[in-house]
Amino acid sequence: MATIAPSDVALATTPETAPRDAPAVELSGVTVRFMSEQREVTALRDISFSLAPGTFLTLLGPSGCGKSTLLRVVADIIAPTGGTVNVLGRPPGEARRRREIGFVFQDPALLPWRSALDNVRLPLQVGGAARPARTGRSPEELLDLVGLAGWERALPHELSGGMRQRVSIARALLGDPRILLMDEPFGALDEITRDRLNDELLHVWRETGTTILFVTHSIQEAAYLGQRVLMLAANPGRVRELIAIDLPEPRQLTVRDTAAFAALTGRLRAVLETC
Amino acid sequence: MASDLGVSSLPGTVSDEAATEIDGARAAWLAAQAWTRWKRRVLPLLGAAALLFVWWALVAFLHVKPFIAPSPEVVAITLVQKWNILISNLWPTAIEAVSGFAIGNLVAIAIATLFVHRKSIEMAFFPIVVLLNSVPVVAKAPILVLLLGNGMAPKIAIAAVVCFFPTLVNMVRGLEAVSPQSLELMHVLSASKPDIFIRLRLPTSIPYLFSALKIAASTAVVGAIVGEWIGSQVGIGALIIQATYNFDSALLYATVICGSTFSVLFFLTIRLLERLCVRWAPGTTG
Repeated sequence: MATIAPSDVALATTPETAPRDAPAVELSGVTVRFMSEQREVTALRDISFSLAPGTFLTLLGPSGCGKSTLLRVVADIIAPTGGTVNVLGRPPGEARRRREIGFVFQDPALLPWRSALDNVRLPLQVGGAARPARTGRSPEELLDLVGLAGWERALPHELSGGMRQRVSIARALLGDPRILLMDEPFGALDEITRDRLNDELLHVWRETGTTILFVTHSIQEAAYLGQRVLMLAANPGRVRELIAIDLPEPRQLTVRDTAAFAALTGRLRAVLETC
Repeated sequence: MASDLGVSSLPGTVSDEAATEIDGARAAWLAAQAWTRWKRRVLPLLGAAALLFVWWALVAFLHVKPFIAPSPEVVAITLVQKWNILISNLWPTAIEAVSGFAIGNLVAIAIATLFVHRKSIEMAFFPIVVLLNSVPVVAKAPILVLLLGNGMAPKIAIAAVVCFFPTLVNMVRGLEAVSPQSLELMHVLSASKPDIFIRLRLPTSIPYLFSALKIAASTAVVGAIVGEWIGSQVGIGALIIQATYNFDSALLYATVICGSTFSVLFFLTIRLLERLCVRWAPGTTG
């Protein structure tokens, strides 16, 4: 297991007005190595890319290509072994303490004793100095945004898998983070729910204008959601290709029945097979 | 559950005949449910009555002597006649058991908290705790009596010691039962250690704590009684020893029934508390 990034030292070494036009996420030469008893594993090798604010990027690749590790490096959960990471022109730890980063896990990771609304409120109750002074949308508005108005008082076990994941998206959006990291958030859901949540996510993205990094195993999902697809190869995890997705905006589910979409997914599959 | 959340069940397009049919099926289903509930209540009572009858029949037909085993009706009469003696002996046992329960569990929770935050302390002392726990309670009791004298103190200590171990083990497990993703979430939110403890670890451990407390509720009573076996004039344990030496089997049985009833009531109180506190696990809600 990798070490958790060095914990909260003094806040803000960069001035408040730090780079306005800086890339949302910028990695250069990022390498992550894990130690285990038998051997040393290189999870990521020499990853470099830069992402303009407001971009929707999907990350696709075979299992073991380090997609989840990459998200965790951006979120300051894992410290890279080498290379530099900048989030909004600052080190990721600083972006994290400023609550510029929202994270959605594959497991909704809701607190089962809290109602939907209280789960969304959690970011307001922990983190001391990191708590946002201004929250942007209120927890109630966020539940409404993800289509859960009327379910505020429900406990997680009373909600379906899709609804739980929506609560966790609302929680990640609290405080208007400028970066939203999503680690296979819909991987455990059935296709119908997944389609609906894909559309709702695009709606949320257009509403909030946040930058999204979205890890998925599904070629369809990667092509449908992303403006660009970052294709990673495995062993060691490295960038295979950054592919621009040229589909009409705003995306409609029916676009997936077009020849253009089929051609795109065909191309993605061809690249994936070389990973 | 769904109706609590304002979701209507059926669309309004059902014809009248179909509605009647549905009502009929529903009535039948409700009747079947009621019958099952009734059976669940009455059958255990019937089972107990049958066993009482077997007990009575064995004593009556095998001509068992009263000092070896009493018949159930003699025990019932003793329960009524010696009610005052029984209750005045139950009091000290109850006080010892409940105080021991409180002390033992509080100490266990505190030490579990320490263990979870300071792994090296856990490594140093956990094996010793396991070792001490493997010493049978009847062997620990005389040692505590020698240390603490003849009053209530050694009985409370014994009850506390027997409660301590299951709670410590379960509490450590409960505090560590948080998912890696919850911890990552807390890290992304820049939560402090006290935040993580209060908002995540402690609530996660509550169901684990209650399963230990339910065990401890019974073992605390056992601990207090065992303590009273060794040098005590009052209490359920002392009364058991006295009745046995006097071959007063009816009093012995009545005392045992008294002690067990208290133990069961103590257990049920903890279970009620659990139902009130743990409302989120699907298995424990109505």
